[in-house]
Parts: sequence; structure tokens; C-alpha cells
Amino acid sequence: MKKLKMIKELPLIIILVLISIVITIINPSFLTVENFLDLLKSNLVLTMMAMGMLLVILTGGIDVSVASMITAVTVIIGNSLIHFSQNILVTVLLATLCGVILGLINGLLITGLKIPPIVATLGTMSMILGIVLYVTNGNWITGIPQNFIDFGRIMILPKTLADGRVIGIPIQIIFLLPIIILTWFVLKHTVIGRGIYALGGNLESADRMGFKTNRIIVFVYAFEGFIIGLSAVAHTSIMRQVDPNAFLGFEMQVIAAVVLGGASVLGGYGSVLGTIIGVALFSVINNGMILMRIPTFWQKIVVGLIIISSISADMIQKQREEHLKVRVDVDEVASYEA
Amino acid sequence: MKLKIKGLIATKEGILFIIFLAVVAIMTILSPSKFLSNYNLQSLAYQLPEFGILSLSMMLIIITGGINLSLTFSATLAMIVGGLAMSSVFANTGGAFLALVIGVALMLVVAALAGIFNGFVVSYIGVTPMIATLGAATLFEGISLNITKGGAISGFPLSFIMIGNTAILGIPVPMLIFVVILILMWLLIEKSKMGAAIIMIGCNPKVAEFSGIKVKNVLFKAYMISGLLAGVAGVIMASRYNSAKESYGSSYLLQSVAASVLGGTSISGGEGRVVGTLLAAMILQVISSGLNIFGLNRYLTNVLMGFILIFVLAINFVTEKFKKN
Amino acid sequence: MSASLLEISNISKFFPGVKALQNVGFSVDKGEIHALIGENGAGKSTLIKILSGVYQPEEGGKITMEGEDLGVLDPLISLNKGIVVIYQDFSLFPNLSVLENITLGSYVEQNRKLVNYKEMRKIANEMLRQLAIDNIDLDESLGDLSVARQQLVAIARALANDAKLLILDEPTSSLSSSEVEKLFEIMHSLKERGISMIFISHKLDEVYRISDRLSILRDGRYIGTYKADELNEQELIAKMVGREIIYTIYPKRKLTEPLLEVKKFSKQGNYKDINFTLHKGEVLGITGLVGAGRTEVVKSVFGLNPQDEGVLLLDGQEVAIKNPSEAMRNGIAFIPENRLTEGLVLRKSTQENLTLTLLEELSGRLGLLNPKKSDKVAASWIEKLDIRPSNPHLFTAKLSGGNQQRVVIAKWLATNPKILIVDEPTNGIDVGAKAEIHRLLRQLAETGLGIIVVSSELPEILAVCDRVVVMKRGRVTAQLFCEGLSQEDIMSRAI
Repeated sequence: MKKLKMIKELPLIIILVLISIVITIINPSFLTVENFLDLLKSNLVLTMMAMGMLLVILTGGIDVSVASMITAVTVIIGNSLIHFSQNILVTVLLATLCGVILGLINGLLITGLKIPPIVATLGTMSMILGIVLYVTNGNWITGIPQNFIDFGRIMILPKTLADGRVIGIPIQIIFLLPIIILTWFVLKHTVIGRGIYALGGNLESADRMGFKTNRIIVFVYAFEGFIIGLSAVAHTSIMRQVDPNAFLGFEMQVIAAVVLGGASVLGGYGSVLGTIIGVALFSVINNGMILMRIPTFWQKIVVGLIIISSISADMIQKQREEHLKVRVDVDEVASYEA
Repeated sequence: MKLKIKGLIATKEGILFIIFLAVVAIMTILSPSKFLSNYNLQSLAYQLPEFGILSLSMMLIIITGGINLSLTFSATLAMIVGGLAMSSVFANTGGAFLALVIGVALMLVVAALAGIFNGFVVSYIGVTPMIATLGAATLFEGISLNITKGGAISGFPLSFIMIGNTAILGIPVPMLIFVVILILMWLLIEKSKMGAAIIMIGCNPKVAEFSGIKVKNVLFKAYMISGLLAGVAGVIMASRYNSAKESYGSSYLLQSVAASVLGGTSISGGEGRVVGTLLAAMILQVISSGLNIFGLNRYLTNVLMGFILIFVLAINFVTEKFKKN
Repeated sequence: MSASLLEISNISKFFPGVKALQNVGFSVDKGEIHALIGENGAGKSTLIKILSGVYQPEEGGKITMEGEDLGVLDPLISLNKGIVVIYQDFSLFPNLSVLENITLGSYVEQNRKLVNYKEMRKIANEMLRQLAIDNIDLDESLGDLSVARQQLVAIARALANDAKLLILDEPTSSLSSSEVEKLFEIMHSLKERGISMIFISHKLDEVYRISDRLSILRDGRYIGTYKADELNEQELIAKMVGREIIYTIYPKRKLTEPLLEVKKFSKQGNYKDINFTLHKGEVLGITGLVGAGRTEVVKSVFGLNPQDEGVLLLDGQEVAIKNPSEAMRNGIAFIPENRLTEGLVLRKSTQENLTLTLLEELSGRLGLLNPKKSDKVAASWIEKLDIRPSNPHLFTAKLSGGNQQRVVIAKWLATNPKILIVDEPTNGIDVGAKAEIHRLLRQLAETGLGIIVVSSELPEILAVCDRVVVMKRGRVTAQLFCEGLSQEDIMSRAI
């Protein structure tokens, strides 16, 4: 029982279960295998990107350029698949390389020039998106080679339903699962991962302890870039074409999911499990809204409210703790003499 | 006299003015007929005000040590709500003046409310400005989209359209509004007690509190004023475009941060001058209009703006390091 | 001789205008619990910073450990040599587990890439076992632990880093009596392992209980090392404060009408049942050791840290002060302890700092500041208090400590207060400037102001104040007239 109490993510899990119950009552088709597989596929990229954003937020930073970065990489690999090489492995290598380079740019601006993460990533977002939209002129890239499309359609454990539709676990899971496992492994089992938590919790102490905090921060942004690269491949294999406008506003969803999953924007707090639940909660809310026929325009409102209320709750709790801090060990018994 | 001129030039504003002249010169050289054309000069004069006002709004929040990522979204929300009311009143009653008054008033009120929302979350709940305004940005955008369903609001009375598109004695009305705002902001930030308080809060909120300044109160008001300014910019934009859409002015967000930083506002807060932001806004406006006139793809202009922001911050960093040594 | 672990000799440290340490030397044996005693400002924390490599001593200073000259120390080398300081803030990570806080440091030091929890657990458990700590769960988040247990984790971490000399700075200041017992048990077991400890504390009863020997510092000088049973408390106090008062002792004034009355002020975790009265034209001192709650009380009077219970009377009328602005309106001014972080904005000018408290007075109906008035006010105060350099537009960062303090004083005097509260008025200021500030405070009292001086410097209290309130552990232990009072009299009620 004690171990159960210690799971910080428990409240979130409970909320997730409750909301799922409510939605199921309103629309029973929520609680079906097809719906879940559908949810998995449509939120695959969100989950992967959330892993990368988790690391960034753990260091107390933020990255609003992620949407522009994944767009850029999808455009690059789109063109590469058509004109350069159909080979999936080559595509993955190219995508991750591009992602890492873009991530490094952010990381170096932040550590080298001491530009606040919000401003640095705001700048890179504008530059990357501008270049991408200029090069593509907003046009879609179609004509993705068939082998890649076929690859994207593969399903693991396929099952044919009564109406002839085939459902199964999408192949893109080979991108998702390793990323989740890798992120978890880095955070939990490497010194650099613990260093991420350390510097997010107390930067000065982390420095004093000997952690090379600047290097860790650059690593975090590069790692995020790596994930973005893989996400781009996964996304393109699902969508089978490249739309430069597909990710507009996506960075907000990624941030919302991570924040909802319990990560603190001040750094140092958050976990892979929490983030997965955050993504699940986020996607369930979205899916719920669709099933309850709430127009999609509400989605942004929900995202905004999620961010603000999660952070507010976090802040209010911190203030309460600060207020109750004991400053003086007061003597209970008076010892006054005139 | 020579020394005085030298002294003037050596100031940050002096350097900015020189950069402005240089940029104008470059643009003129690149294509005198296009750049110096009546069309271009007019469009500059009509576009600068909304951008300038947004930059001042952003500058105010950066001085407090924060950032307002919901700036342009507050403006568009205001535009949309006010515009909708205005066009419905106009359509239903035919009363142009009534519609105009209701429209403008509502635009300003909604924008101020957006500012109040931010102010509340930042000063009273204590959320860091970056994430608070980031959340608010999405929230406002969502509400805007909800109202317009992606379309545009139109059907404004002529009197409203005239605000953004006519001139009095040769001076465009938006420019007149801009000048008034400039003077008010200059008075507020550099000459008033509230401005002094805001600057000190941006430097060191603890010292400000210990000196009797009601920090939460002042911050709250600053966000409200910032929202109100966004509303004014929204009025001008809605009038100039003769419609209200949630995507208008989105590129102004980054550019207003760039203008503030270029104009000498410290990104960590505590410093900022109205003249500096004005000159920086002028520089960026000339660059963006100029490039537009030359047919440069507007996407590339965005790239340039992003680069300018980072470049200015890099220069600031290097000069700070130099000073320390 | 071979039992000696640490020997320091000829350690001095000078700062601009202040001789923090002068020719300090003593030795600590292996497995010894050695107490370091001295008032605030005696030089204890400077000495610790030198031992831990944060500061370097002046030339000629030598630190020897197990016979080896340690040479020049920096924080990493010092840690390497086994000198670990347990600070009041512990520099631990609240968001990491106890396990990681104990063992992560060594991983980083050894440049390892992967974390082996099994190994870490083994080491951490071993540490806890050696310290006989059995009630801390390794997996608990450090931030969830009480202060006392966080401290135990800090000690476990020191042990994991092969500490030879543990320096504990006021380790019992936030502990309950049972927690203190636990700490002492652990200190004994460390002693048995041959680990030495330097124990800094003001609590003489504890010092007597746990230490083998004690060394006394006074005003940066080494007074002597004594066995715990060699000195009684009275003799100890005498050695701590036994000095000539070099300040001008101002004649004490008779009591006049009450100006400010603090009645039954209490605040959870800060202070309890505080009562005192400030009279017109009086300089009232509030003194006590670090952690007595003095600053917390005066901050409450000023509205910065509002009390839970209690009544404040001004000129006989009850007033409710909930924030500094209300305090100012009631004529109260507060000069804070840390002028650099609480008193001045360093990157703004003297004038801008001076006028910060006067924004209301200097502005007209529209809220616009009157520049001429501002210039005048700034210039007049710069002249009145002889602030140098006299350029009102110079950044205060460029002023000396004494002049910076004058700017802070000016900024508050300009509000024309009836009551002036000063917290450590002469902290880090050279003797000459201190005397000036004392003179200024007495002059102000002559004009009818009521002044409260919070100070740890007993000579200063006796020189400048008419009466003194002594606090200890959040309570008032005595209110005394300074006439004929000795430093020992005060210290015995503070300690």
C-alpha cells in the first residue's frame, strides 16, 4: 500500500480513469479496441515529441520551435524519399541527423549566448518555419515512393472486423516504443539523466557537485532533435504525404500534454510515466470532445486552459509550502525575566 | 556643439537612428523608384502605427521582467469580438455611429480584459509570465476561432473603415493615434511614478516591495495597460484590413519582441526606452516593407526577423561580457 | 601528536575595510568533536569558507592535514581531501530521492556514465547503518523530509564521500530536542570511526555536552582552545565578548512617551508572545543570536511578514499594518539587513534609488514625477549624508559599502518617518563609517524619532542604544536598560 501511495502519478491516473468512464457513458464507442488503436495511431507523434519536450522542461527550459522542426524534417525526408533514396534506413538516418542539428542550434544559443529558451526557440521557430514555407510555398509534397507507403501501412497482429475493416497495431510503434524506453532509460539509469533532474532542481548545487550543466542542456536539446527526426519519419509514414502546415500550433499541444502529466515548468519535476499519462489524458479529452460532437475549435481553448490550470495548481501549492516554512525554532516555554 | 552631437550619436538611440538612416539608404539604393514611391511611403505610414503600438505593449511587459506571448492573440480576439458586435449592430439597426462606438469600445474592453486575465494569473496566482501568456495565447486563439469558425468578420460601417484608411491634414489617422500613444507611453514609463515602479520591479522585485511598492498591484496594472494597447492596435488593424480574422498580425509577435530588444530593452527586464523601441520599430518596418516591395517572399522576411532577434541578443551578450572584462 | 588531523596556522583574511580573520591557528584531533565558538561576525563562517576552499587565506596561512600541507584549496580539492561542510541549506536536491542525494556525487566524481541502483543502495544503506539511522526511506523524495532528516542525509552524503573532517554549521538550529539527541548519537558514532567534527553552535549547553574541546574566536582573532570542562559558562561568555568598546558610548536618555507598542505578537514558526515599547526619541536595540527571530519581528512591524496574532499601537492608537505601503503611511521606515539584495537596485543610479520611496510625494495629480523636485531632493540628501561620489546619476554598484548604506538610509529618512527600524546598520562597513552612522542615529533620536536597531554587535548596542530587547529562540528573554550594562549581561540572556 505504501508503494502505491508513493506513485506520484496516481492522481492523474485516477482522473484519466474517471474521464474515460464519463465519456464511455456518453458514447460507448469510446471503450472499443478500434478506438484505442485509432487513438494510438493519431497520438503517436504527440507521445514521441512529448518525451523530448519532457527533458527540455525538466531542465527548466521550453521549446516552441518543435512544430517548425518536425515540419522541416518531414519536408526534407519527403524530398529525399522522392529524389534521393527510397531506403527507409537512410531516411531514418537523415531525419535524425537533421533533427539533432536543429536541436543543437537551440541548445547552443541557450548555453553559449545565454539567450532565454523562450526567446531563442521563438527566434529559431520563425527562421525554420520561414525557410520551410518559402521552399515549399505551402505546397504539399506528394508522390512518396510506394515502398515507404507500404511500410507505413503495415500492421502488427492484424484482425479483420465484421465489416471487413482491418485493425491492428501500427508499425510506427517501432519508433514509439524505443523512444519511450530510451527516454526512460536515459532519465532513470544514466548519470546524465540524473544530472538533468539535478540541474532542474538546483542548478547551483548541480554545478558545485561537478555536473557539466551546459553540456547536459545541449544534450537535452539535441536529444529532443533526435526524437523529432524519428517522429517526422513516423508521421510521414502515417500520412503518406507532407503538408508544411500540418503542425501549426502543435507545439502547444506537446507542451500542454507534458505539463498535464505533472512536469513543472520551473524544472526538476516530471517523469516518463507522468508524461505518457498526460498525453493519454490529453488525447482522451480530445477524443471525448469529438465523440461528444464538440466542435474542434474548442480544442485550442482546452489546451490553453489545461496549461494555465496545471501551472496555476502547481504554483499555488508551492506558495502554500513557502508560507508554512518554519524560519525560527520557537521556544514553547517562555523564559522571560524582567 | 560638435561635442553635443557626438554625445547624442554615442547614445543607444543615436546609434539606432543611424542604423535607421542606413537601412533607408540601402533600400533606396536597391530600388529608388519602388522604395521612394508614394505607394510605399504611404503604406509605411499606415503600417507602422499598429506595429509600433504592439511593440510598445510588448516592451512594457518585458520591462517588468516578463514576456507577453499572447499579445497578438489578445489583439485579434479584441478585433473579432468588437468587430462581430459592430457588424451585427450595424446590420440590424443601420446606425453607423452607434455601431462604431460599440465596436471600438468593445475592442478596447476585450483587450483590456485579456490583459487583466494575464495580470491576474501572473501577479496574483504567481505563474511565470512565459507560460501564463503562452497558455493565454492558445486560449485566446481558441476563443477567436470559435467565434469566426476560421472565417473573417466583416461588414463594418464606413466610419470605422475610415479610421485606418484616411488622413487628416495629410497625416494618416493611425499615425496620429500612434503619436498620442507614444507620448502617453513615454510619460508613463519614463516620467510617471508608475513607470518608475515598473522599472524597479523589473530590476529587483524584492527591493521594490521593501520600498513600499505594491508589486502585485503594479504588475497587474501593467498587464492591463499592455492589453489595452493591444486593443488599440487591433482597432487600427481591423479598420485597415476592413475585416477581422484570427490569423492577422501573427508575425507581429516575434517582431515586437525583436523591436523591444533592438530598441534597448533588456530581455531580463528593468530597462527600456520608448524612443529606442520607436526607432527599432521603424527600422524593422522599413526592412519588412522594403523587402515586400522588392518582392521578397514574406516567408523569408520572417526568417530575417527571427535572425535579427537572435543576432541582437547575441550582440548584447558579447558586449556585456566585454564590459565585464 | 599523531592524533592530530587538522592543523591551521597563521590564517588571516582581509576584505576591503574589514579584517575578518587575523592570525588564527588551532588544531583538531582525529575523532575529536571540536566546537567553534564566537559571536556573529567573529569570523567563524570566513574560517569555514577558507577550510572548504571557497576563500583563500592571506599569504603565510597554512593548512595541514595528517601532516601534509594542503597548499591552495578550492572547493573540489577541499572535498577531495575529505573536508565536508554541512551548511544550513544543505545544498541537496529536493527533487531527487534520498538515495541519489547520498550517492550521486561520487558517481559524478568518478565520471561514470550509468547509474547502478543496486550499488547505490548498498552504499547508501551502509552509510545509514554506520550512522545508525533506521527511519529514513531511501526512495523518499528529499523535499518531503523534515529539516532534521535532510540534515542526516547531508551527513550520510558526507560519509559516502569519505569525509575526514565534517564541519557542521549551526546544525541544531531547526531541530527538536529528540532530533538533537539523534544528531548527537550520530556524531558519537562518527567519532568512533575516527572522523573529526568542527561543531559551530551558540547553544552552550549543547556545546558542553558534546564537544571534547572548544576554540573561541572574537573579532577575527583566536582567543584560545579549551577542554570542555576547563571553562564554565560565565568564563566562556567573558572570553567571547571580552573586549574594549571602541565606539563612543552615547549618554542614555530617559524614557519619554510611548511611540510604538508591540503587544503579544505571535507568528507560527517565527516568534511568540513578543512585547516591547519604543519611546519617542529613544534608540531601542533588539539583539540575539542568529535564528532568534529578531528580523522576523521587525519585518512584521513593517508589514513585510504580517503577524498571526498581536496588536500594534502607534501613539496609543491601534493600527493594522498589512504591507510596507501602510507601514510607510504610518510613518515607519525599514532599512533592511542586506543592502545589496534588499535595499538597493545596484544597476540604477543614486537618485533613482533615493526617490524610490518618495514616488507619491514627488508626483503630481496626473501621477507624473516632478523632475526638478526629484533632483532637489536627491541633491539635498546626498549633501546631508555626505554620499560620495556626489554624482546623483552614478550607478550605486560603483559606491563603497559605506556610501551604499548611506543611500539606503537617505532613501528612508527622506520619507520623514517617525519610526526608523534598522537591521544590522553597520554590517560589512569599516570602523570609521560605523561611527558616523552611530552618530547619525543618535542625532535623529534627538529630533524625536524612535529608532529600533537590530544588531548582533554587542558593543554597538551598548554604545548607541538606550535600552535593549534580548531575544532567544523566537521569544523575548529580557528588556534591559543599557546604562551600566555589560556585554556579558546581554550575551548570557541571548545564548
